[in-house]
Amino acid sequence: MLHEFEYARPATRAELHELLARHGKAAKILAGGTDLLVNIRCGVSKPAIVIDIKKVRDLPVIAWNPKVGLVIGPGATINEVLAHPAVHDHFPLLSECGHDLASYQVRNRATVIGNVVNASPCSDMAPALLCLGAIAIVSSKRGEREVPFSEFFTGVKKTVLLDDEILERIVVPTASAGARGSYHKLKRINGHDLGIVGVALMKKEGVVALGISSAAPTPVLVEGIRETDAVEKAVAAARSATSPISDLRCSKEYREFMIEVFIRRLWAEVK
Amino acid sequence: MRITLKVNGGTYTREVEGHRTLLRFLREDLGFTGTKEGCGAGECGACTVIMDGKTVNSCMVLALEADGANVETIEGEASAGKLSVIQEAFDRHHAVQCGYCTGGMIMSVRDLLHRNPKPSVEEIKEGIEGNFCRCTGYQQIIEAVLDASGQLGEGPGQVREGRLEHA
Ligand SMILES: Cc1cc2nc3c(=O)[nH]c(=O)nc-3n(C[C@@H](O)[C@@H](O)[C@H](O)COP(=O)(O)OP(=O)(O)OC[C@H]3O[C@@H](n4cnc5c(N)ncnc54)[C@H](O)[C@@H]3O)c2cc1C
Ligand code: FES
Ligand code: FES
Repeated sequence: MLHEFEYARPATRAELHELLARHGKAAKILAGGTDLLVNIRCGVSKPAIVIDIKKVRDLPVIAWNPKVGLVIGPGATINEVLAHPAVHDHFPLLSECGHDLASYQVRNRATVIGNVVNASPCSDMAPALLCLGAIAIVSSKRGEREVPFSEFFTGVKKTVLLDDEILERIVVPTASAGARGSYHKLKRINGHDLGIVGVALMKKEGVVALGISSAAPTPVLVEGIRETDAVEKAVAAARSATSPISDLRCSKEYREFMIEVFIRRLWAEVK
Repeated sequence: MRITLKVNGGTYTREVEGHRTLLRFLREDLGFTGTKEGCGAGECGACTVIMDGKTVNSCMVLALEADGANVETIEGEASAGKLSVIQEAFDRHHAVQCGYCTGGMIMSVRDLLHRNPKPSVEEIKEGIEGNFCRCTGYQQIIEAVLDASGQLGEGPGQVREGRLEHA
């Protein structure tokens, strides 16, 4: 059972901003609900008002504009992103990560934006967005600001978002179009499961970036590596950027070991 | 709030509270109890229904979010007392034991065959990865899906294209 809450369904961006400004901490935005409704059910989240943003007319959806990049709006589900031709043609790393997230029917509801706002260390979309240099455009009644994903996550399930703000769109810059990349995710079973550890590797114009999940309080970006470097440099950089812990699902040592295994595999695989 | 939605072709208008899930609404307010609650948290797929042409976990959808939607549940699968092709294949291959997963499983299979009329064994496994079955071990379900999609030969256990060995 879910606790009682008020449900609001604003029709415009202005109404949405107004509701958030008025209710602040007491409000929670509802996108696909795959984190929020589970959190409400188990009592982790107790909003007085739930604001469904799926009927807001003037929020962006998903669009490719070569002048700007790939724009991902708050309603865009993982499956919609996977099915988008521009994602297929220009951003294979987004597909790789999206495909590994949950099950088909969860991906029909789960949004990319909800996934990053939830800011779980094991987010599967964050590694791709970090590698691709994506930017979060955040808005409120007070205006808009831009935050690169490398500065977006501040702790376990914590981001730079303030109570009256929404993540209005993600822009994956055109400069990253055509980047090669792949994602390896360790899980207990072949089917849908949260990651035990995940590594995304991207190569573009001689530059290599790594996005690592479940290895620190936040998803981690590792930069400053070149294709001409030895793989050992990437392994060492990843080791100093991460701080895996032991938990229910595996030990710290196993995580460290698998991060290295994945980096070595990806290094050879991503040509 | 008052909502109006279609379920298996019938139109229903009801007053619902904000915190009611679509799953509870279907089961308790409309009596469509073929849709089950297993985990209530998106893991097991027993609550899978098709909403506006897409499979969703109805335990993670609010009834209010289904306002104006077209919902299909397992009760809409058979028509005029006759089992659907998928249901008949499940029956033939013993893909139903306790039956708790079956309503949701068949919704996922229907959606899979709609998107991909001749799925490979690997594609079937992916298509039903969000639907847990604790009885059958999945083998019979995979056979039933191969059969429902015309990929099995005559008689039980007969395989065309030798796919089942990899199952
Ligand atoms: C069974 C299951 C398996 C899963 N497996 C995986 C997995 O393998 N990998 C993985 O990464 N994730 C997994 N998830 C979690 C994944 O589904 C979510 O992170 C999802 O992407 C969140 O999107 P949503 O639209 O459902 O968000 P919601 O639940 O609607 O929202 C999530 C949070 O973000 C806030 N929010 C949403 N949109 C905005 C916005 N535009 N602006 C500001 N705040 C906003 C909400 O208030 C809420 O706090 C799984 C979930 C389930 C139920
Ligand atoms: S009851 Fe909905 S997924 Fe288990
Ligand atoms: S038949 Fe019992 S859970 Fe599938």
